[in-house]
Amino acid sequence: MTKNILEVKGLKTYYRTRLKEQVFAVDGVDFVLEEGKTLGIAGESGCGKSTLALSLMGFYFPPLHYQSGSIVINGIDIMKLKKEELRSKILGREIAYIPQAAMNALNPTLKIIRFIEDMMKVHRPELSKKQVWEMAAERFETLNLSPNVLNSFPNELSGGMKQRTVIAISTILNPKVLIADEPTSALDVSSQKVVIKLLKDLLDKQFIKSLVFITHELPLLYHVTDDIMVMYAGEIVERGTSHEMIFDSIHPYTKKLMGSIIVPEEGMKGHKLSAIPGAPPNLKNVPAGCRFSDRCSYATDACMTGKVESKMVDDRTYRCLYDVEILKEWYAHE
Amino acid sequence: MSAYSKYFIKKFCWYFLTLVIAVSLNFILPRLIDGNPVSIIVSQVSKGMTDSDTIKQVYDTFMKEFGLDKPMWTQFLIYIKNLFTGDLGTSFGLYPKKVTDILATAVPWTVGLQLPAILVGWILGNILGAVAAYKKGVFDKAIFPVALFVNSIPFFTLAIIMLYIFGLTLKWFPLSGGYDFQMIPQLSFEFIGSVIRHHTLPFLSIVLVTIGGQAIGMREMSIYELNSDYVLYSKLLGIRDRTVSRYVFKNAMLPQITGLALSLGTMIGGSLICEIVFSYPGIGTWLFTAIRQLDYPLISGCTLIIAVSVLLANFTLEIIYGIVDPRIKAAQMEDE
Repeated sequence: MTKNILEVKGLKTYYRTRLKEQVFAVDGVDFVLEEGKTLGIAGESGCGKSTLALSLMGFYFPPLHYQSGSIVINGIDIMKLKKEELRSKILGREIAYIPQAAMNALNPTLKIIRFIEDMMKVHRPELSKKQVWEMAAERFETLNLSPNVLNSFPNELSGGMKQRTVIAISTILNPKVLIADEPTSALDVSSQKVVIKLLKDLLDKQFIKSLVFITHELPLLYHVTDDIMVMYAGEIVERGTSHEMIFDSIHPYTKKLMGSIIVPEEGMKGHKLSAIPGAPPNLKNVPAGCRFSDRCSYATDACMTGKVESKMVDDRTYRCLYDVEILKEWYAHE
Repeated sequence: MSAYSKYFIKKFCWYFLTLVIAVSLNFILPRLIDGNPVSIIVSQVSKGMTDSDTIKQVYDTFMKEFGLDKPMWTQFLIYIKNLFTGDLGTSFGLYPKKVTDILATAVPWTVGLQLPAILVGWILGNILGAVAAYKKGVFDKAIFPVALFVNSIPFFTLAIIMLYIFGLTLKWFPLSGGYDFQMIPQLSFEFIGSVIRHHTLPFLSIVLVTIGGQAIGMREMSIYELNSDYVLYSKLLGIRDRTVSRYVFKNAMLPQITGLALSLGTMIGGSLICEIVFSYPGIGTWLFTAIRQLDYPLISGCTLIIAVSVLLANFTLEIIYGIVDPRIKAAQMEDE
């Protein structure tokens, strides 16, 4: 039986604004990630996917606050740890993070190697500066990055190079889980490919065990991850394998989202692009019933009231009032 | 020749041209003020004299002595010629004292007052600003408005208020001068004590204003850096808060250092108001006296020192920046 490397149960993390309002950015998220698996998280802007990525680290900065739920990484419930233990034992070692804006993720006035030295002072204090250099140079070389990069300042590197450097730094201690928050969104297509290849390399070489890849680019996930999870308004609306999610989605939102993908093909210019009508709900006051109800073309009065729980059908989870069969029938009539 | 030396020479030429214009203006502007300095002197010298011929004679002698009988452009050429030999002329008001001698006694007072005050104010201001940004909460809410308030009071108002409270009302500090005027400057405890007592109030006024401005700047810079992506990323890799704070404050300091270099350059010119309010025997007070007496050579001498120090500070800063920061160097090359 495969081991669960990451288990998240009932995770709720809210932003608290100055006016004492609450933003339900991550509102009751449950999922499990098995060892060796890759999971993609997709959704529109503002659905809470980046917040979920940050929340998984168990390290909260105001205005983001932990509300409830558990995060178990490799058997350790990190929300039960003291902040100091979390910092020195978990971050960078068990779970690592690649930020959305890798362009600015490195201190502009610090050489890359100095930054790695500061990191090792926490996690591997027994290493000398020379050993840190050797370790970093070896890892960089394995990942097809020139060790010369170590001696550069961040502004001397190109965007794609910076992104790969950040990935190499994040994974230098072989963390079990790597959370990548839109690592390719700011890159041109060829750099994107290099970054994806690098992530796959890390998995193949067993430097990381599992990967959580967050993006709004669904076609990319299809090629990268085993499973895809779609988020909407702070909740997970559907999860399945990449193939199922793209070609056989259950939830109306996933269906619509897949329909919004722009695929280059002959005669595209004449086509009418379909988009989801309306806008995602304001996460300060979420609808009482199904959160997608006001934009869903199949919504009934029953959808507007009463909380919708997620359902499980042969390994697939989805959050809709209606059963798969009914939904499938509706889709067939379109 | 490398592109950088070309840049250096070009910059130097521009600064030299600016200096030439400044020197010309320093010469011309005082002479455009209404009034005749010799009349002022003669009216003092000839008190009690009734013979108009004698008065006329005294007047002519002074006109000749000061070279004011010659046309303006001849005077200018003489001024420039003397400048090359390091002679700034003879003061009218303190005749026959040399302007260079007066400036030599004045500059140490100005530098002695401004340099420590700016440095202390700069250091304290930056610490306060950084702590306010880092601690947030009550500390920030208390420090920031106070700094903003102090920084918004016009300096002369602040100086006069301090003089009124601590000098006139409480009598803690003397009202004017660099030392008790009955004393002879010498290396004795008594004299040094007197200098320190006279130094305190103008020193504190400059420190206070500098703290205000620096604290505001540093707070803003620190908040900006604290919210930057590298802070979050570093923390999520488990790097200690102490180390991350070091990154933040080092980066926030960079523009502050530029500010310090600039304020040191404008130090001599910036001392004007402070010295006038506290009657401190530096360049500012001399310039003020010189303007009232239409003492052309002394005015020109004071403004020359101010112009040269500002130009020198800017020039040095521009050259050093080009060497230190590769980004700025690249930008400088593009100007070519």
